[in-house]
Amino acid sequence: VGYVIVAGLALGATYALTALVYNTMYSTSKVLNFGAGQFAMAGGIICAWVMLSLHQPLWVATIAVIAVGALFGALTELVAVRRVMADSDSHLWVLTTLALATIVEQAVGLVWGWDPTPFPRLFKQPMGTLLDQKFWLPVAVAIAATVLLDLFYRRTMLGKSFLAVAEDEVAARARGVSSAKVRCLSYMLAGVVGAISGMAAGQLNFADPSLGMRLGLGGFLALAVGGMGSSVGALIGGLFAGLLNSFSTDLFGAQYSDAVALGVLAIILIIRPLGLFGISNTRSV
Amino acid sequence: MSNILFSNRTISTLAVVALALLPFFINNLYYVHIATTIAIYWIVVAGLNLLVGFCGQLSVGHIGLLAIGSYTMVLAGIHLGVPPLLGLLLSGIVCGFVGLLLGLPSLRLSGFYFAMVTLAFGQIVAEAALSEQWLTNGSMGLPAPEMPALLSSKYGLYAVCAAIALVITLITKNIASSLWGSSLIAIRDADIAARSLGIRIFRAKLITFVFSGFTAGVGGGLFALSHNYITPDAYTFDLSLFFFVSIIIGGRGAILGPFLGMAVLTALPEMVSSLAKYSTFFYGTILLLVALLAPGGFSELIRQFGFRKGRQAVPVASDPDLGMLRKEIVEPTN
Repeated sequence: VGYVIVAGLALGATYALTALVYNTMYSTSKVLNFGAGQFAMAGGIICAWVMLSLHQPLWVATIAVIAVGALFGALTELVAVRRVMADSDSHLWVLTTLALATIVEQAVGLVWGWDPTPFPRLFKQPMGTLLDQKFWLPVAVAIAATVLLDLFYRRTMLGKSFLAVAEDEVAARARGVSSAKVRCLSYMLAGVVGAISGMAAGQLNFADPSLGMRLGLGGFLALAVGGMGSSVGALIGGLFAGLLNSFSTDLFGAQYSDAVALGVLAIILIIRPLGLFGISNTRSV
Repeated sequence: MSNILFSNRTISTLAVVALALLPFFINNLYYVHIATTIAIYWIVVAGLNLLVGFCGQLSVGHIGLLAIGSYTMVLAGIHLGVPPLLGLLLSGIVCGFVGLLLGLPSLRLSGFYFAMVTLAFGQIVAEAALSEQWLTNGSMGLPAPEMPALLSSKYGLYAVCAAIALVITLITKNIASSLWGSSLIAIRDADIAARSLGIRIFRAKLITFVFSGFTAGVGGGLFALSHNYITPDAYTFDLSLFFFVSIIIGGRGAILGPFLGMAVLTALPEMVSSLAKYSTFFYGTILLLVALLAPGGFSELIRQFGFRKGRQAVPVASDPDLGMLRKEIVEPTN
């Protein structure tokens, strides 16, 4: 049972991080990015490639992962979001973000191969304990990311301008905040958080091109539980989703963990179509 | 407008007839196989088109329904001895029912949420097909039942697929041009306005979803027949994306467009087999380009050109005369 809980918490941390990535992008653009899990996938692949194939030390890999995350985030905003923001009613962004996610996943698979590859040890630590780095690292990164994002939003001017755009874009623009720039920066931030989460969880999930879709689903479940726009909610929702996955795998076998997750997701969404803590933004007529 | 519709209908009728007869003039069995594949995919896409193109529900999980259709067909053939043509009907009914069960919770959700649930559904079916070995024989797969003697050749199978495709096309065409089709478009474009007109949104969505489930089931049964042997790895997310992309590039709210899009996308990787590896990458790229540059798809482009030829009325933006305005506002106070 100890192992089930620890593995569930670690997996939940990766879901929580993906939910944070969703949130960061959603707050400034009101777009739910289909490729939210792809940042983590890209981060994991790049880290494994830099450390195992290019034989570079950890700090070089970290810089590479951050750079790739920021670049990928900016690319997402420029290509898939900026141009379709104008008519957000038609859900065109579902198509563009789905398309970009597919393109990136396929490109990575074609370049680096489709099979999951082993991931390097990031720190020296004896293998095989319950406190192994593959378990504590994602949890630590998830908590650190939640705290840092919160500090960033509350304490820095840039973070406050993010919040201003999230709250009321027109008013923010009127006060001289460049909403396009803020949106682009928020996507870069999301990309960096996602890429680092992929690196931290690499030893748990391996470097696998198809990881993005799975994380996207898990993170979405976390979001549905925790509610849109709340960092703490994302953390709680993520840990819930991870433990759910871990326990259903333990009880019914790995092939049913997705089915159980979907069942819970369906029940939650039937009771509260916008998530447990979501706020309805239906226009009253 | 009616003129364009009419010509569209003429073209599509001609295309269908030509396509139905084409393989009988070709002696190459491989082309017959491609034509059969196109007909089968069209059966799936035609139903999905009503859901995605008309009703605006972005389902990316129809591959799950297709797989269930295939397995229903094969298992009914093996265990119950159901003949293939009856099996097709059975697959359709089973998938329609699964569509009902899936649609009841998921259709209440808006765009992205619905897409996510359907995506998860597709994944679950694929995993279940792989792991439930007692039922599906896992990755080893199962043989499909034989067609009756008269229809067992490649040509016979093609004739069956083309006939069913034709019937389904006619059904969707009739639905699309009826008041029902218009109400689906209304749900897609302005659901609140649709509701205020008395359209029962959820019921309309659900019926459309069940219908698309039925066609996916029939398509799945034919898919099994045309492949002789079914394995879980044939039902990947890539194929689901492919159905979805062909509707989007063909144009939402049209029938001919998605058909052409699907036919081109099916034939291309088959003709140039060295590109097959890149096909999903290619689908993603096309989807992105179409969504960004021509959200209406090919049909919209064609329609726009039609309008440009017919009418030359271009709205001219008029510049307000700011000087005059200022004078009028400022002078009275002086």
